[in-house]
Amino acid sequence: MKKTLVLFAHPYFEHSTTNVRLLECYEAMQNVTFRDLYEDYPDFHIQAFRERKRIVDYDRIIFHFPIIWFGLPPLLKLWIDEVFDMRWIAEGQHNILSGKDAVIVTSVGGSESNYTREGKYKTTAEELLTGLCVSLDINNIDLKNTHIIYNADNLEEEQLEDYCKELSQILNTE
Amino acid sequence: MTENSIAMTILIFLGVAIIMVPLGKKLGLSSVIGYLLGGILIGPFCLQLTGRDAADIMHASELGVIMLLFLVGLELEPQKLWQIRKRILGLGLSQMLLSIVGIFIVFYVAGFGLQKSVIIALCFAMSSTAIVLQTLKEKNLFRTVSGESSFSILLFQDIAVIPILALLPFLSKSQKAIAQADHEKVLLHYIPEWLQPFTVIGAVLILILLGRYIFIPFLRFVSRSGLNELLTAASLFLVIGVSELMISIGLSPALGAFIAGVMLANSEFRHELESNIDPFKGLLLAVFFVSVGATINFDIIASKPVFIFTAAFIVLGIKAAVLFGIGKYYKMNNEQSFFLAFALSQVGEFAFVLINFSAGLFLIDYQANSELMAIVAITMCISPLLMIFKEKILDKRFIKQKSEENVELGIIKQRKIIIVGFGYFGSTVGRLLKANGIRSTVLDNDPDRVALLRSNGFNVYYGDATKPALLRSAGIEEAELLVICLDDPEKNKFLVDYVKENYPDIKIFVRAKNRLDAYEFLNKKVDNIYRETLGTAVDMAVDILKENGMRKYTARRMGKRFMIIDKAMTRRLAKEKDENMVTFTLRETLEREAQLLALDSISFEENHWSGDDDDDK
Repeated sequence: MKKTLVLFAHPYFEHSTTNVRLLECYEAMQNVTFRDLYEDYPDFHIQAFRERKRIVDYDRIIFHFPIIWFGLPPLLKLWIDEVFDMRWIAEGQHNILSGKDAVIVTSVGGSESNYTREGKYKTTAEELLTGLCVSLDINNIDLKNTHIIYNADNLEEEQLEDYCKELSQILNTE
Repeated sequence: MTENSIAMTILIFLGVAIIMVPLGKKLGLSSVIGYLLGGILIGPFCLQLTGRDAADIMHASELGVIMLLFLVGLELEPQKLWQIRKRILGLGLSQMLLSIVGIFIVFYVAGFGLQKSVIIALCFAMSSTAIVLQTLKEKNLFRTVSGESSFSILLFQDIAVIPILALLPFLSKSQKAIAQADHEKVLLHYIPEWLQPFTVIGAVLILILLGRYIFIPFLRFVSRSGLNELLTAASLFLVIGVSELMISIGLSPALGAFIAGVMLANSEFRHELESNIDPFKGLLLAVFFVSVGATINFDIIASKPVFIFTAAFIVLGIKAAVLFGIGKYYKMNNEQSFFLAFALSQVGEFAFVLINFSAGLFLIDYQANSELMAIVAITMCISPLLMIFKEKILDKRFIKQKSEENVELGIIKQRKIIIVGFGYFGSTVGRLLKANGIRSTVLDNDPDRVALLRSNGFNVYYGDATKPALLRSAGIEEAELLVICLDDPEKNKFLVDYVKENYPDIKIFVRAKNRLDAYEFLNKKVDNIYRETLGTAVDMAVDILKENGMRKYTARRMGKRFMIIDKAMTRRLAKEKDENMVTFTLRETLEREAQLLALDSISFEENHWSGDDDDDK
């Protein structure tokens, strides 16, 4: 299995139930480093150099976060701003991110039907992730999968179980 | 044996305790058993070292029991009591009632007569606070379901002793006993006849008022003198004074001591009182137990061995069955219920008190007195063996259920915190914790500040925290976090050394004056060090950067980066000098500053991260 870095960002994790359950999927896995950004940087002071040094070691990055007010958690966005370097994507420069894989795991409160062109929000969850996807793409990171969990605030135990199985499967495929 | 001098008697009593208790400990027996065995050893049936005065000594050392009740009262903060009231009432009442009824029926059917059976049942329903608390402490079970339930039951029994002690005289029909009891009630004669029935209520009210308006100001006055031995004297004065007062108006001194204890449980002197009284209580209780051992009459056991042992086992059986049933009813698992059944099934030291008291009232005769004493002592001796049986044999069968106990509820876990020093620094820490609903025990040695903080609802206690006894009574043994915020760095270092050595599992948070202090704490292997000069100085520098035109966000980031680098460098420099560090001379200090400044110019270079990479998880 590929050496994997999980970047988990959740500003209100103490009120989450679904993500608590999902995180258990990572525990059993080998070669996975789990990082809880809101625990590592409670004061939003991201140590960019340290992050850059570390990221080289991994073949795959998992971005795991809830969508809050239709966007990324601010600390995850800040992490990307601080760590990713514009110089890397310039012509003829070596990009340390090039060739890595990525997976996005995200949860939203609304139902799947709300996140449609015709639905309440008139946009899809995938579209809300556009900024992140473009950032990955331009750095030549291959986004293998986007795993969106709808209705995250009230899921039955069985549905949670299914989502966990799906997530484990995605993690184990490559 | 000829009559000994007092000093000689004390010598014998303490000597045998010193020898027997460690011996008993080696065999896995509790200290109470050690004392009892010691008493038997020096008693008239073995070495004959004590004369007839053993009974008198027992009487004198009953003050130890009074002190025990005072300490129980001190433990019983009214709010704490309120929190676990249902548990205490439910578990305690059902245990007492069912045991009393069970034992009463057996003894009544066996032909002991109504009055005697009632007394026997009342005495034997009690469990031994000393043995059980010792067991809980040794096995570290205070925070488990079974530990808490045991404590609740004991608490209820401790409280139940008081009405029982008050009621027993009414059972006594002997005029002689009443006359004799009246003889001691000096003050009662000055009270008009029609007022006498209200003495109990009156006395309790007076004690409550005394506690609130006299005792606490009195202790504050004494503590201001700053002499520790005066406070010890004042504590003893209080306890003995209250018990004498109660005797003189014809009430149980134990009740008085207990109420005085409860009244002071809320005061800032609680832990100081505890640590002052505790040694005396321990000493007197030791003498009390030894004298109980010395007065056990083996002729009676030898004359009726079958009866005594059957009775002991029947009592153990009834109590264990009742306790197991209660455990099951309160949805405990088998392991927890077995613990309850075996740990609390013995008859306790309060039975000695009650039996002696009843004998004094002529409710039971000398023969019965000795028989009952023997039964109590036997159940106490068997109790540790039962615990061994439970651990070795029963636990193997029920071990799987153990993990259930450790399930934590909720995300924020209240841990036991002690804050030492509540000046400008410590109070800020405590206030932020309190604002978030995290409770802590605070120790401070400024009586005026303590009084002020208490009136604002802080859980503050007066005392010198560098004294081990005060730390112990503040609960350092169960504490998980120790926050050291004293002004004097040397005292902070002393505390860190003491706690690291004696309680290595506690996580220490320490206030450091400056970088040099921090080096020392780092080398003492403390991880959480807070330099009081760092954060504020950086804040100031950040604001000055802003004044020079730097964007606020950038200035803040620079401040943050500076802090991280500075902390990492402190760690590194502390490590370097670890081996040959004695104290810093001024020149060495300057050299270090120079080193720091040199490192600064490198590490603030872009793309040149030189912070310590290993220290993050």
